[in-house]
Amino acid sequence: MKSRGSFGRGAVYVLLALIAVVFLAPIVIILINSVKGNFYISSSPFTFPSGETFVGFENFIKGFNQSDFMRSFANSAFITVASVAGIVLLTSMTAWYIVRIKNKFTRIIYYFFVFSMVVPFQMVMYTMTYYAFEFKLNNPVGIVFIYLGFGAGLSVFMFSGFIKSIPVEIEEAANIDGCGPIRAFFTIIFPILKPTAITVAILNAMWIWNDYLLPYLVLGSGKNKTLPVAVQMALTGGYGNKDMGALMAMLVLAILPIIIFYLFCQKYIIRGVVAGAVKG
Amino acid sequence: MATIRFINVAKSFDNGKVTVIPDLSLEIADKEFVVLVGPSGCGKSTTLRMIAGLEDISSGELYIDDKLVNKIPPKDRDIAMVFQSYALYPHMTVYKNMAFALKLKKMPKNEIDEKVMWAAKILDIEPYLDRKPRALSGGQRQRVALGRAMVRNPKVFLLDEPLSNLDAKLRTEMRAQITTLHQKLQTTFVYVTHDQTEAMTMADRIVVMDKGIIRQFDTPQKLYNEPADMFVAGFIGSPQMNFIDAKIISENGKLKVKFSGYSFEVPRKKTKSLEKYIDKTVILGIRPEHIASEDDAGESGTCSMTVNAEISEMTGSETNIYFELSGKRHIARIKTERKISTGESVKLFIDPEYAHFFDKETTKAI
Repeated sequence: MKSRGSFGRGAVYVLLALIAVVFLAPIVIILINSVKGNFYISSSPFTFPSGETFVGFENFIKGFNQSDFMRSFANSAFITVASVAGIVLLTSMTAWYIVRIKNKFTRIIYYFFVFSMVVPFQMVMYTMTYYAFEFKLNNPVGIVFIYLGFGAGLSVFMFSGFIKSIPVEIEEAANIDGCGPIRAFFTIIFPILKPTAITVAILNAMWIWNDYLLPYLVLGSGKNKTLPVAVQMALTGGYGNKDMGALMAMLVLAILPIIIFYLFCQKYIIRGVVAGAVKG
Repeated sequence: MATIRFINVAKSFDNGKVTVIPDLSLEIADKEFVVLVGPSGCGKSTTLRMIAGLEDISSGELYIDDKLVNKIPPKDRDIAMVFQSYALYPHMTVYKNMAFALKLKKMPKNEIDEKVMWAAKILDIEPYLDRKPRALSGGQRQRVALGRAMVRNPKVFLLDEPLSNLDAKLRTEMRAQITTLHQKLQTTFVYVTHDQTEAMTMADRIVVMDKGIIRQFDTPQKLYNEPADMFVAGFIGSPQMNFIDAKIISENGKLKVKFSGYSFEVPRKKTKSLEKYIDKTVILGIRPEHIASEDDAGESGTCSMTVNAEISEMTGSETNIYFELSGKRHIARIKTERKISTGESVKLFIDPEYAHFFDKETTKAI
């Protein structure tokens, strides 16, 4: 029995290692090619850079100067930070209200949020784009409101799950200690929600930063374009016209912030996901 | 320091569909330690929460220190509350937990420090001031919860089953500590529990509640010696009082109680009130500890009965004997050195002086 168990475990490790290779391969390919010359990227894309093929930061400098990289980066950063901040702040308050005030209205609202999670973006993208233009939301500030809507479902769902595990007595104690509802939320409830808030922030930051379709539809490929759109723009052009080296460098720069953010916060993800699952 | 007055207070939930407290009138004196006691769902916690302002009052008036507080939010009632689950702020240290209310009051820092240190010293939690609640044991958390209430120097201290999450030893310790605290602080304490030992040992006066109604509001001694009805008699005292159907008869000009083939003379203090029950059935109430065995009966046992010990439980200095009378099981708590085995015939004595009588219909004490 024991040997069968360890064999099974070994097989699982091998399988997991293979999956990890499949997932990490594209990132590694981008990394090694970002410091190689254009010619060598096409001729030998899978080899590591060596003395001859290595070009240092040349590609990065070219990438910076290409297709408004800095501007797109700033757009992406603003949209991501503002949307995530808005989502975390507003959905945590919404979830708190939904959980604590139990009536028909809050129940319906809750189910709306849950329902919004299962509606695919493609289903609503045309009408949504139309209204985004109608309401003049087709700018970096306006799109934050749209992201707030798309991010709210999962975030409210996650916050609600955690808030249910917070004993209501803690809020009552805060009320007796002299807090009104708003103060109780910000001084007592929100700090307790921190692990979940960080999880919600990471999940939303990842998809908003990487999102291509929504910003492309709403912001287009002009001066307001976001980083994924800018990268795609760099790809367009006739064969041989593309600066593959600069493109690889742009991709590295594009994924770097979100990876750093993820690594910085990853310990909270697990804690946030399981928080409140069992009575502590 | 404050008086609390309920005047015809009612509380219902679900738009009046569920009435928890139909009509409550109660006056708690200044500096008094009052315990609300009763079975689960009797409305004791709701009553406490109404004082705290955590539950709205459906009708009636509630006064704290002659001030109508029906519409006053909890934070403006000058009360402090200790919860069953402690309800400490998990992200704050012990110090910050205790200082929180004072900080909200914008009290100067040195004054906050002074108060927190004072409470920490009394409660012996000084070494833990920098710890978060999760790094404390149950007893320590409970003391922090008490400290958080103490530093505010409130008019009224509300405690909602604060000891029920602690183990038996710690509970006894904390019980004594809370009593000492009450003596030191000289503040009105309202304490909710379902544990009658807590109620009896700590209270100046006890409110016994059942289904939202006050059955009796009196001192522990009075509740024990002169219960107002069968509910109170059964609730106060452990093991619970034995209730036996008995008949009052007049024999040779003397009033006697007859039950299950035994009889004894009605004690003089009860003759007057029992006269109108002649030839009627009443409920005779005898506390298990007022039944004695041959070993310690002495002179007092004037009514003897011989019973079969169905179960015998040794609890240390005393033994609980379960026996049957007229098809109903009863308990006697006797002092005896020897072991009584199951099925053994035991001679028991009832002291009529300690007998209680209840009207069979109204269940009120006679």
